[in-house]
Amino acid sequence: MKQLLQIELFKIFRRPRTYISFGIVTAITFVIQLAMLTDGKSYMSFALQGVNEQFDIHGNMINGYFITYIILQTLLIQIPLLVALVAGDTLAGEATLGTLRLLLTKPISRNQLILAKFMSSFIYTVLLVIWLAIVALGLSVLIFGRGDMVNIKSDTFILILQNDVLWRYAAAFCFAMLAMTTIASLSILLSVFADNSIGPIISTMGIVVVLTILSNLDLPLFNHIKPYIFTTHMIGWKGFFDDPVPVRQIGISALVLIVYTVAFAGTTLLVFNKKDIKS
Amino acid sequence: MIRRSLNTILILLCLAVQASAADANELFNTLRRKIFSVQDYTADVKMRISVKYMRIPQLAGTLYFKSPDKMRLERHGGLSILPRKNINLTIRNLIPAGNATVIDAGEAQIGGKKTRIIKVIPEDDKSDLVLAKIWVDETSMVALRIETATRNEGTLTMDLEYGRYISNGLPDKLLLTLDVKDFRMPKGMTMDYTESRPDEALKDTKGKKGTIQITYLSYKINTGLSDKIFTPEASEP
Repeated sequence: MKQLLQIELFKIFRRPRTYISFGIVTAITFVIQLAMLTDGKSYMSFALQGVNEQFDIHGNMINGYFITYIILQTLLIQIPLLVALVAGDTLAGEATLGTLRLLLTKPISRNQLILAKFMSSFIYTVLLVIWLAIVALGLSVLIFGRGDMVNIKSDTFILILQNDVLWRYAAAFCFAMLAMTTIASLSILLSVFADNSIGPIISTMGIVVVLTILSNLDLPLFNHIKPYIFTTHMIGWKGFFDDPVPVRQIGISALVLIVYTVAFAGTTLLVFNKKDIKS
Repeated sequence: MIRRSLNTILILLCLAVQASAADANELFNTLRRKIFSVQDYTADVKMRISVKYMRIPQLAGTLYFKSPDKMRLERHGGLSILPRKNINLTIRNLIPAGNATVIDAGEAQIGGKKTRIIKVIPEDDKSDLVLAKIWVDETSMVALRIETATRNEGTLTMDLEYGRYISNGLPDKLLLTLDVKDFRMPKGMTMDYTESRPDEALKDTKGKKGTIQITYLSYKINTGLSDKIFTPEASEP
């Protein structure tokens, strides 16, 4: 199994597209950092116009912690695409190349193969989020410095003291890993049905975009189904920046994401075991 | 005989009212002299802001004040938050500085202490302050509560507790209750994860009231603070 995982990881990290994801994360982070460096004060005064009417806030508000939050919020839509870019290719890519049938002639079970592909995709996802943490948090703190963090919700202004921020980011990035693992599982599931990798990648993105819009639409029609949609829970990392931290709600979100991940993985195993591999 | 008696009562009544007004005036002027004797101070403080739309932990820092209206909170690398017209955080700015009409409004108990209530109406028509109601502890000659009606900021109430600095008329603890507006951003922009819960500290306040509580740990009084301390640049890192 270890050797199988090594082979799968080799396949992932041999491909240039894997590094494109890391490059895109870096580029988006740079763009946001540059924008905030040049025009951060305007952004902040717009965001805080309601608060500024009554309160004077002084100090380094546009600090590394605040910028990281903005980056994470912005990358909410892009990161699933980057995860799907690799995870969606795991089975469909093999099918396109015609290596899947050859692979299954080796003395490994289909379950082992799927498990290895899941684990390699998970490792890729974790590394991508760790890279995001390095360039978003590490670089932002280096450029903009540290300070108390301001978090703006639709009806609340939250101030988090700087010595209370880092554990929140550690927890938020761990949660982001879980959310992205759900996306990876969905991509692998869709990958079982396809013979080329474009289909699962586009389908994953389509599902994520549609469900994200649905999760954020404040319409009574959708309010009943929102708690059951995984995209509603993908923003659970934000809960760590709330006051008080909604521990129960975050736990529920984590549970929903785990259930979806297991369900996607289980379905993948079921379908793949019954699938007639022709290429 | 009856007519003479009535005249005497009327004269005595007029004299009593006049004496009461003179007493209230004297009381207000004595209190004002004491409060205005503090030209500047530097104080180590702990501040708790409880506003409906704000979640702010207790802030510790140094509060600088220079008369008549300069104030700054230094948080040693952290963000400082003060009401926009932070002048209201000092008792000095809730008391009219110019000529004013003072009316004796009776007595009341505050925290078990007997106080005299005086109502002060500034004679300056342009003053933001419309009316100040002051509960004065005549024994220590300090204000225990001030309620002000302002033109632009609604009603402000300040409750004060004194300790070591009572001789300077400076409180150890101050609780300011003020009117606050709502804060709203489009949900599509902020993509909230959870609904906000009401602040426990505000469950007793009616309507849109907020409170700011300051605990003064120590004061350095009349040290001759420089104006540079209060420039915006001094607040930036």
